[in-house]
Amino acid sequence: MSRQFDLNDDSLVVIIGSGAGGGTLANELAQKGIRSVVLEAGKRFTMEDIENDEWGMFNKISWLDQRNLVGPSRLAEDFPNLPAWIVKGVGGSTIHWAGVAMRFQEHEFKMKTLNGAIAGANVEDWPLTLQDLAPYYTLAEKKMGVCGTEATGMPFHGKSTHYKVIEAGAKKVGARCEQAHLAINTVPFDGRAPCQVTGFCMQGCRFGAKWSTMYAEIPKAEATGNVEVRPNCMALRIEHDRNGRATGVLYAGADGQEHFQKARIVAVAANSIESPRILLNSASNLFPDGLANSSGQVGKNYMTHVTGGSYAEFDHPVHMERSTVVPGIVKEWEDNDPSRGHVGGYELEALHLGLPFMSAFLDPGAANGWGRQFARSMENYSKMAGFWICGEDLALESNRITLHPTEKDQYGLPVPVVHKADHENDTRMRDHAYRMSKELFTAIGARHVNDLPPYPASHNMGTNRMHANAQDGVVNQWGQSHDIDNLFISDGSQFTSSGTENPTLTIVALTIRQADYIAERMSRGEL
Amino acid sequence: MTAYPRATLSRRRFLTLTGALTAGSLALGATGLWPRWALAEPDLAQRLLRLGRDIYPHEAIADRYYLETLAPLLEENRELVAAGLDDLDRRARAAHGSDYVGIENDAERETLLRDIQHTPFFATVKGSLLMGIYNNPALWPEFGYGGSSWEQGGYLHRGFDADPDWL
Repeated sequence: MSRQFDLNDDSLVVIIGSGAGGGTLANELAQKGIRSVVLEAGKRFTMEDIENDEWGMFNKISWLDQRNLVGPSRLAEDFPNLPAWIVKGVGGSTIHWAGVAMRFQEHEFKMKTLNGAIAGANVEDWPLTLQDLAPYYTLAEKKMGVCGTEATGMPFHGKSTHYKVIEAGAKKVGARCEQAHLAINTVPFDGRAPCQVTGFCMQGCRFGAKWSTMYAEIPKAEATGNVEVRPNCMALRIEHDRNGRATGVLYAGADGQEHFQKARIVAVAANSIESPRILLNSASNLFPDGLANSSGQVGKNYMTHVTGGSYAEFDHPVHMERSTVVPGIVKEWEDNDPSRGHVGGYELEALHLGLPFMSAFLDPGAANGWGRQFARSMENYSKMAGFWICGEDLALESNRITLHPTEKDQYGLPVPVVHKADHENDTRMRDHAYRMSKELFTAIGARHVNDLPPYPASHNMGTNRMHANAQDGVVNQWGQSHDIDNLFISDGSQFTSSGTENPTLTIVALTIRQADYIAERMSRGEL
Repeated sequence: MTAYPRATLSRRRFLTLTGALTAGSLALGATGLWPRWALAEPDLAQRLLRLGRDIYPHEAIADRYYLETLAPLLEENRELVAAGLDDLDRRARAAHGSDYVGIENDAERETLLRDIQHTPFFATVKGSLLMGIYNNPALWPEFGYGGSSWEQGGYLHRGFDADPDWL
C-alpha cells in the first residue's frame, strides 16, 4: 500500500498521471530513492474488475469526460465527443494498449532533414537520435518483457490462425510480414503469468500477462515506500513562484475538496489532450499563454497516427478473435519512400475486434452501419481477417488542443476542444494502405474487403513536443521544459513526430532516460 | 458513441426486470416467443419488428431478440418512437401507397429508411438494436463469436493456432 506524504512536503516529485509515462517514472525514481506523489484522475481497478467484455470494459475504464472534437473529418462526425480512446484509472492506457512494442526507425527522428519542409505541415527533427535512445529501448524491453527481442530472449507467441491467414496473403503479394513484438509474456516473467490468448488484450489482461503500469510498475514503486499514489485526484493547475519555478499542483481530491501538493519537481504525464490542457489551464500573470509555452507550441501538433481498418471476408472460417489482439505486422511499407505518393511509413497491424466492436466500427456513426450489406458482413464475422492501419501522422500546427471559451467540465475546468484534420499526405497514405490491404486479401480469395474509417485515437502525441530550440518546441531532449527547469513532460505529448510505431515502448524508453537525467541533476543540486 | 453506454444499461435493466416474465408469457403461433409488451400491443410490435429487421436483417435471429431490445425505448422514448413510425408510414404511403410494413420489396423499404437515417428517431432505434443484437451474448453463437474466454483459459490450448486448411 502507498506510503502517505504531507501536502507541505516540498521535496517530492509530483507526477500527474500513472500510465506508461507517469507510472514508469514513479517506479524508476523510486528505485533510485527519489520520492514522489502520483496524482491519478481515475480510480484504482483490481484484476477482478477486468472482464472479457468490450462494451463493459469500455464503459468501466474509458476517459469519458466531456471533450469536443472538431475539424473536417469523418471522425468528428462519427464521434463528436470522443476524440481519444484512452483510460481513466491507475495504470492509464497501459490497461487498454494491445502490447505492441516496436522501436522507432532511425529515419523517424529526422523527418525534416529527410524530406525537407512539407507545405502545410510543421514537421521537425527530434533533438535525439535512435543511437541515443537505443540503450533505453533495451532497458524498456527488459522491463516490460517484450517477446521476440534480444533484450529478453523471450520467444514469440506462435502463429495464431489470424496471423497465418495474413502471412499467406503477404507472401502472395511479396510483402514483409513478421510476428509482433509484444510486451505480453510468453513465459512466466517478472512475477506475472504467461499469455493464455483470451483475445481481449485491449479490455485489460485478466491474467496480467501484458505489461501494464497498473500491476507492474506501480506496485513495485509503492513497495519501495518512496511513492504515494492518489487515485481519484484530478490535477487542476500547476502553480509557480515569482521566479517562474513550479511550486506544486492544485488538485480536486477524492474527498471532493481542493488540495495543494507542494513539489520540488512537477512531471506531467496525463496523455496528449490532458497534458497541454493542464499547462494551458495554468496560465498566470507571468505566463499568460500557459506554462512552458513561450514557443506557442503547447497544445499544437496533435498527432494520432494515420489510422483506418481493412477487414476482409473469406469463404472459410478464420476466428480471428482466437489470438492475441495483434499477432503480427506487415512491415513492407514502414519505410520513408516518397515514390508511393506520401512521406513516412505505415504498418498494417493484424488486429481483431470482437463482434460488438466490429458492429460499432465497421461503418461507424449515428446514420451509418445498417442494412442488408452491413448485416451480411456481420454474418461473416467468423470468416474475417483484418488490419488496423497505423501510419506516420504529420505534425500540423492547426491540429491542436484548445480550451473551450465557456463550456466547463465536472471539475469546473474549461472543456478541451480537439481540432484534427488530415494533411493531404495522411489521406494519400491511408488510401495507399487500403489499396495494399485489399490486394493482399484478394490474393488469397477474399470475397469482400471493408475499408473502415478511423476510430477514436488511442495513440495521442505531439502536443508538448521536444525540440532543440526553445522557440520551436516545449521541452528539450530530456522532456524538461525549456522555460521552467523543474517542469517535465513524461508522456507521448513530448514526441516531435509520431513515427509509424505504436508509441508506448518509446514513451517508456524516454521515461527511463528522463529518470536518469532527473536523478543526476538532483544529485548535483541542480534540481 | 456516447449513446451506447446508455443503451447498454437500458437493455440490461430491461432483462433484469422482465427476464423472468418472458418465459411465462408464451402464446401460440408466430408470436409465440414475443415478450409480454409485444403481445399486448401487437400492431406496434409488428411495425417496430419490421423496422428492426430492416436495420439489422438476420433471418436466423428470432423476433423476440429484436423486440426485447426495443422495449426500453417504449418506456423512455415512446413519443419519439410513435411519431417516427407515423412519419415512416406517411412516407411509405406517399411513395408506394402502403404503410411501411405493407411494402413487400426489401430494397424499397431500405430506400425509405435511407431518407430518415439522419433523424434522432432512426439513430435511437438503431443504437438500441446495435446493442441488443451484436452485444447480446445469447446471439453470439449465431455469429460464431466466442465472447468471454478467460474462464476457459483463453484459446492457448483451444486452437488459437489452428491451421487454416483452405489456404
